Amino acid sequence: MSGVGVYIENYEGKMMTVSQEALGAARQTANDLGKSLTAVVIGQNVADVAAAAFDLGADSVIGSDHAALAEYRAEAFGPLLTQLVQEAGLDVLIAGATTQGRDMTAWLAADLNAGLIADATALKVDGDRVVATRPVYAGKLLSDTVIPEGMQIISLRSRAFAPAESTGGSGSAQWVDANVGDISTEVTGFKAKEGGVSLTDAKIIVSGGRGVGGPEGFDPVRALADTLGGALGASRATVDAGWIPYDHQVGQTGKTVSPDLYIACGISGAIQHQAGMRTSKIIVAINKDSEAPIFGLAHYGVVGDLFDVVPAVEAEFKKRLG
Amino acid sequence: MKVVVCVKQTPSTTATISVNDNVVTWEDTGSGKPNVVNPWDEYTIEEGIRLKENHGATETIALTFGSADSVDVLRTGLAMGCTSAVHISNEGAEEVDALDTAAVLAAAIEKVEDVKVAMCGKQAIDGDSGVMPMLVARKLGWTPLTFVAAINEITEDSITVERLLENGRQVITAKLPVVMSVVKEINEPRYPSFMGIRKANRATVPTWSLDDLGVSVSAPRVNWQKIYSLPAREGSVEMIDGDSMNDKAKKLVDKLFEEKVI
Ligand SMILES: Cc1cc2nc3c(=O)[nH]c(=O)nc-3n(C[C@H](O)[C@H](O)[C@H](O)COP(=O)(O)OP(=O)(O)OC[C@H]3O[C@@H](n4cnc5c(N)ncnc54)[C@H](O)[C@@H]3O)c2cc1C
Ligand SMILES: Nc1ncnc2c1ncn2[C@@H]1O[C@H](COP(=O)(O)O)[C@@H](O)[C@H]1O
Repeated sequence: MSGVGVYIENYEGKMMTVSQEALGAARQTANDLGKSLTAVVIGQNVADVAAAAFDLGADSVIGSDHAALAEYRAEAFGPLLTQLVQEAGLDVLIAGATTQGRDMTAWLAADLNAGLIADATALKVDGDRVVATRPVYAGKLLSDTVIPEGMQIISLRSRAFAPAESTGGSGSAQWVDANVGDISTEVTGFKAKEGGVSLTDAKIIVSGGRGVGGPEGFDPVRALADTLGGALGASRATVDAGWIPYDHQVGQTGKTVSPDLYIACGISGAIQHQAGMRTSKIIVAINKDSEAPIFGLAHYGVVGDLFDVVPAVEAEFKKRLG
Repeated sequence: MKVVVCVKQTPSTTATISVNDNVVTWEDTGSGKPNVVNPWDEYTIEEGIRLKENHGATETIALTFGSADSVDVLRTGLAMGCTSAVHISNEGAEEVDALDTAAVLAAAIEKVEDVKVAMCGKQAIDGDSGVMPMLVARKLGWTPLTFVAAINEITEDSITVERLLENGRQVITAKLPVVMSVVKEINEPRYPSFMGIRKANRATVPTWSLDDLGVSVSAPRVNWQKIYSLPAREGSVEMIDGDSMNDKAKKLVDKLFEEKVI
């Protein structure tokens, strides 16, 4: 028995966007391999998530739905994932390369003594193996990687794959008991991120750099992000200065993003910043220094003071978007 | 209670990287050294030292698995304040995959004895995988705590941390021993002091072989079939000009609508 599996993440009872992307990529992979596609859903009150997985192209759904799984804990979810993958005889497992996805794929690889590929940006099938392309050396190079034998475990970068489309499919999920036995961890709190779009999911990101001059300097940048329904990014210089929290940082020691549109305001474009955003589809640079390295990467550039340019651009968008 | 910090040597972030026939080489054309402590591991070293300075850990031991010259990163760790360091030689095992590397690190952590907290960086900036901390945890059978942004409390037998996740921060308590990975927010790494550097240069760093650890490695489970440069971006930047700021803004917005990214 064999088949392609896809690990589905949910948050507050909804399937995460990255899992919709993983479903799309896994469906294609399953078709190319001539195998069936099984979605693995673990959590509490996840019947809707299972239904969504059928609708997004899964042939079957397996998982566990239990109060002890309300909060993600590696030691609760990991053994279940291994058990489910083995019981279903899956020999390819695809997940999003999120914090949870990296945890779970690694857990499974260790349990099954299997090969593991993290953060792929493209997949193709060659014979009965999956070839995964992934950025390495901080995105300066690409590598085509393959697991030559046995189980293939692969995580996918957010926004590198198109989300699966609705098929109208349905079915009944097969649930197993959660044998959440003696676990040495306890989740004692969760502080949900306040509002705003998450950077890794965002289609549009507007980022500010040292050019904003201080915490208040982010106001016009944030306003443009809000107008476009995008997320707010930042360079490390501004995070280190304490102008904005770390979870906004884009770059080598921050987040790796690939939105459709990345607008860099007052960011010089250091190599470490580029490492986090160079795969963006369209890059716009707004900088008063026409020699700034960011213009070497950008598709469109505006030379000028960001405090003039950004509000003008925002006003123009407001006018058009109504 | 001993703390181990796993440190990897990586190319400098400013190094120019090239690839020829699947062989990757790099040099730093600026003033910097071509190889450095993996940037994420600086936070690991710092946090390991703080556990000793502020939370009663008895020793902070830096560990690396790599070539002979990777001892450099251990000296950086010692100069910052680690109490000792161990180099695990990769001689005869230059191509080791993540799972076997984890087995090597786990065996070394066991050999150190009495370790309650082992720490890794979030990811290494060469392979960019970010899977080692979980793999090491599984090899040891210890509790994994990945993406830690703050240690709220640590006692003789338990630890409470905040994990930085996509949707927010999870507060989680675990029994020791644990394997953690830390993110940048957790601290600000110190610079080595002059005295620290002198001491580090004089320190003897033992080298353990895979035989010493009783670990053998297999053929890599993952093959890097082909390594190549990014396809060059087509075209160059189009500078937006105009008579007035509003004119420029209008032209830019037109372009972005044409690109269908709005
Ligand atoms: C190990 C390591 C890891 C790193 N990781 C990251 C990372 O993850 N992310 C990251 O971003 N950086 C990272 N860096 C830092 C990086 O090298 C740069 O220092 C940083 O990106 C610079 O931020 P910046 O562009 O905001 O600031 P600067 O380089 O100071 O650039 C500011 C820019 O703003 C422009 N400007 C100023 N005023 C205005 C104005 N009024 N209007 C318009 N333009 C204006 C200036 O012309 C300039 O180009 C890392 C560095 C190291 C060594
Ligand atoms: N060869 C190694 N020696 C010591 N530590 C390592 C080694 N490889 C990886 N690590 C640790 O594991 C972390 C994550 O690495 P990776 O999963 O390879 O991205 C790094 O930040 C290091 O702390």
